[in-house]
Amino acid sequence: MPMLDVKNLVTHYFLGQEAVSAVEDVSFTIEQGETLGLAGESGCGKTTTAYSIMRLLAENGQIIRGQILLDGEDLTQKTEKQMRKIRWRDVSIVFQYAMNAFNPVLKIGKQIIEVIRDKEDVTKTVAEERVKALFEEVGLEPERIYDYPHEFSGGMRQRAIIAQALALEPKLIIADEPVTALDVIVQNKILELLSELQERYKLGVLLITHDLSVVAENSDKVGIMYAGMLMETGTATEVFKETLHPYTYKLIGAFPSVSGPKHRLEFIPGTPPNLLNPPSGCRFHPRCPWAQAICVKSVPDYRDLGKGHFVACHFAGELNFEEVPK
Amino acid sequence: MSSTPILEIRDLKKYFPVRKGFLSFLGGQRYVHAVDGVTFSVQPGDSLVIAGESGSGKTTLARTILRLIEPTAGSIRFQNEDVVAMTPEELRPFRQKMQLIFQNPFEAIDPRHTIHEVVSEPLVILDPGSTEDERESRVLSALEDVRLIPADDFARRYPHELSGGQLQRVAIARSLIVNPTLVIADEPVSMLDASIRTEIMNLMSDLQKEYGLTYIFITHDLAQARYIGEYIIILYLGRIMEMGPMEEVLQDPIHPYTQALISNVPVPDPTEERDRIDIPGETPTPIDLPPECRFRPRCQDFDELCSEDEPVLHQVSEDRFVACHGWEARRKKKHKLTYSSDTK
Repeated sequence: MPMLDVKNLVTHYFLGQEAVSAVEDVSFTIEQGETLGLAGESGCGKTTTAYSIMRLLAENGQIIRGQILLDGEDLTQKTEKQMRKIRWRDVSIVFQYAMNAFNPVLKIGKQIIEVIRDKEDVTKTVAEERVKALFEEVGLEPERIYDYPHEFSGGMRQRAIIAQALALEPKLIIADEPVTALDVIVQNKILELLSELQERYKLGVLLITHDLSVVAENSDKVGIMYAGMLMETGTATEVFKETLHPYTYKLIGAFPSVSGPKHRLEFIPGTPPNLLNPPSGCRFHPRCPWAQAICVKSVPDYRDLGKGHFVACHFAGELNFEEVPK
Repeated sequence: MSSTPILEIRDLKKYFPVRKGFLSFLGGQRYVHAVDGVTFSVQPGDSLVIAGESGSGKTTLARTILRLIEPTAGSIRFQNEDVVAMTPEELRPFRQKMQLIFQNPFEAIDPRHTIHEVVSEPLVILDPGSTEDERESRVLSALEDVRLIPADDFARRYPHELSGGQLQRVAIARSLIVNPTLVIADEPVSMLDASIRTEIMNLMSDLQKEYGLTYIFITHDLAQARYIGEYIIILYLGRIMEMGPMEEVLQDPIHPYTQALISNVPVPDPTEERDRIDIPGETPTPIDLPPECRFRPRCQDFDELCSEDEPVLHQVSEDRFVACHGWEARRKKKHKLTYSSDTK
């Protein structure tokens, strides 16, 4: 049984009477010790997926259908009171903006101590010792728990956030753009730290990012989202090297690489759809060069084309991406 | 690089005073050396990328070149004219020739103005003699240039009705409407999604050919840099570490900082094995720098000379320069970054 099993998740935001179809029929699994990289462009629903799992959706957001099974327990059925026990202890989240994740007027250590004491009945001294140990684990000097957030550099703050996420020994960590604001050298140090900790504690990680390069280098499995739906999921090698979905193919082609031969960069004409009124059929069809009549009419099944290589395209496996029809 | 440069920067410096705090009487005024002795030139029609991490001084450098902030020392010559000596009146025509495109079009464009007002604003300011009709037709042709078609439809809209990519086109149209010769673009695509970045980059490159523009791009993203410029300058703590033709620098970096930086750039290929060069610490703030190579505290390959003397730019080949004392020794060791890729 996978540690996390998201089944047919549908999450909408309500604007008055209208519904924004932010996440539509999304399914994926994460095993113990595994990283799923969830990638896609802004507005594709990757963060809404994460917030649905954490049950931290904005007031107008609502899980409409589907299951989120964490070790067999359905998080969508939990009350807010039950969720408060699950957050941080079973699932924790590493946010993008390390700058905003801490209260600027409280010492960082104190904020993490509060998280621990909120969930566990331990004395302040015990909690403090645990935070010091956590700081060492993430490569920070233990004494720095007495510092304020502004005394930390961007990379150090991100380490402190990871320490906070680990404080209650969760099984699953959701990392939402954990390195986006950092320079590449620091970025790699943080990603290496995450992967070390993951191995040590057999953590499941949901890594959310818009950067395909970060996903390619740091994930076991990769999911590509577009307009609220998963287009393709598979091992990193399958998704990048044996690509089945036209959107995945185009998106990978749009990413520049610092090494290897300099290929022509792709772009995808048009813009992502308005999810108040998503396109019929396949949501990518208005921008897909290979779209046929059926793509306009019916939503393609999200089906397994190999051992766990899922794709939502009517013509998956039949397309020659080298040839664009005119 | 033999013809007359369009832009010549010599030993440019920009220091910012550190805000005085309690006990500041104990020491003198301290400065952040944001740009600290930068020398380079740009040939007409080139596209140069100035790359560096946050805090490298790349944005300060761009703003100083435009004299949006005053340089502390050094010279800036644009088309052989001394920019530093210009009075505010003399700066006006110069600003017309040198335009800046910002990173975030949502912030750079006033949401209360129509696209027509946004694009025509520089004309009103820099060419006050122009008539309403002239401005109208120039706005429409500028919008057509950036492929916002039908132009008269776009001209009537408000910024919130446009996507990020379309807004960045508006920003480009606004900078081109005054017929500049040099365009400085500060991270022009980093706010945009990957699928539309290429479209904007292609557009900028088409416009460059069409109007004979010279570009300076400021970026932190070396992979993106590779696709937008022919030359690259690598900046660290306000100083040039290495510069030269793009592919040469990226595929065969000489400076230990450049080597580390490039080796850390992620690539969109899970099968590519890369040797990462780790360098300790994070980029410090350049206050009170000792007289040594500013990369030495993080360098893995330094000797005595490096802590005694700040290296100047050595010429390595015709148009490659590197600020490292040990470059020759390292060249002999043939310390090259090798990328291996096992494509199945």
